[in-house]
Amino acid sequence: MTTLASNGKALTIKKTFSRETAISIDIQADKSIIWALLTNSSDYPRWNSTIISIDGSITKGGKIQLKSALDPKRIFKLSVKEFEADSKLVWGDAMGKRVYTLKTIGNGLTNFSMNEKIGGPIFPLFAKMIPPFDNSFEQFASDLKKEAEAISRTK
Amino acid sequence: MTVEQLTNEFELARPQLKSYILRITASVEDAEDIVQDTFIKASLKLDNFLGDSSVKTWIFTIASNLAKDNLRAKKRWTENVTDICKAKAIANPNYFPEVMNIQATSPHGQFEVKEHITFCLTCISKSLPLEQQICILLKEVYDFKVSEITQILDTNEAMVKYYLHTSRAKMVNIFEGRCALINKEGACHQCSELNGIFNPKQDFEIERNKIEMARVVDKGDKEHLLNLRLQIMKEIDPFSSNGSDLQLHHLEHNRRIMENYSEKTEE
Repeated sequence: MTTLASNGKALTIKKTFSRETAISIDIQADKSIIWALLTNSSDYPRWNSTIISIDGSITKGGKIQLKSALDPKRIFKLSVKEFEADSKLVWGDAMGKRVYTLKTIGNGLTNFSMNEKIGGPIFPLFAKMIPPFDNSFEQFASDLKKEAEAISRTK
Repeated sequence: MTVEQLTNEFELARPQLKSYILRITASVEDAEDIVQDTFIKASLKLDNFLGDSSVKTWIFTIASNLAKDNLRAKKRWTENVTDICKAKAIANPNYFPEVMNIQATSPHGQFEVKEHITFCLTCISKSLPLEQQICILLKEVYDFKVSEITQILDTNEAMVKYYLHTSRAKMVNIFEGRCALINKEGACHQCSELNGIFNPKQDFEIERNKIEMARVVDKGDKEHLLNLRLQIMKEIDPFSSNGSDLQLHHLEHNRRIMENYSEKTEE
C-alpha cells in the first residue's frame, strides 16, 4: 500500500482478488483517549455515525457483532485478532480484516490510521455487491477526531 | 501523619465522603459501613501515606476502592430506573402509607423538588459504568481535579477525561430525553407528581420556577443545564437535608427494586 497522507481522505486500491481501503488522520489527543474510544464497544453509536451497534467485548481474543450504517441489515461476526494497548487493534473474519494503528507524532498529536483489506479466491464473484468504503472511512475518521479532540479539551 | 491528624482530617471529610459513597452505592447501610471501613483501613495503612496527595484524596481513594469491591458483583441500573421503580411503588399498597408517615413524623420528611432532582440524578448516574459515575461525581459534585481523580482511580489523565466526557454526554442525553423539567416532551414527570402528592396546596409552576435549571431551559444549552443539575446535587447533603428521610426511603426502595430487577433479567 502506498504511503497515505494524514488528510482524512480515504484511498482504495482494487485488485482482482482483493480490495483495500485506507485512511490516515492526525488527531490532537493522547493515544489513550483514542484507544478508549476504539475499544469501548457499547459507546460507539454515541460518537461514531458509521456504526449502529457493536455487541461484545473489544479485548484480546474477544468476539464482537457489528452492525454498520453502510449495510444495516447485516450483522458482521468478527473476532479481535490483535490487541496492543494504545497502539494497534485488528478485528476481522475469514473474508478480511480491519487494522487500526495509533502513533504519537509529538506536540500532543496522534496519527490514526485505519485499513481494511477484503478478498480471497472467490472475491471477484461478490466484489460488486460490496459497497465502497471510502465515505464511511472518512466519516469514521472525522467522527473519531472530533470526539477525541473534544475529550482532550476536558478540564 | 499521626492518628490524631488522620482523625481530624477524616472528620472534616466525613460528610462529603458519606454522601459520595451513598450516591455510588444507593445504600445507607453500605455507605455507613464503607465510611467506617475506610477509617479503619486508613488508620492501619497510615505508614503508606507518603504525602503525594492530599489526605482527602487518599481517603477518597480508599473509600472508592472499597465501594468498587462492594459493587463488583452488582449490575448497573438501567436508564429507565425511575419508571420501573414508580410502577413498583404504585403496585405496593404499603409504599405510600409509609412515605406519608415519614412526611408526617420526621423532621427531615419534607418533599422538595430540588432534593428529588438530586435523588433522580443519583439513580440515573447508576446507569453509567461505575468508573464514569465515580468520575462525574468526584469532579462535578465533590470538586476534585482531574489529576486527583487519576490518583483515586489509579488511572491516567486521558482515561479520566474520557470517563468525564462520556458520562456527561450520556447524562445530557438521558435527561434531555426523559426529564419534563427541561423538555416539555420528556417522559418523566415524577417530581411534579410527587410534589402534588406531598404538597397538594403548592402551585408546581411556582416551585418549578424556584429552580434555576428549569427557569433557563430556553436559553441554557444542554451542558449548562447538566451543570446546574450537578450544582443542585453539590448543595444538598443527602443525610441532613430537609427531606433526607423521605429521599433516603425512596432511594432504598429503588435500590431494592433495581437489585431484584437486575437479578430477574439475568435469569
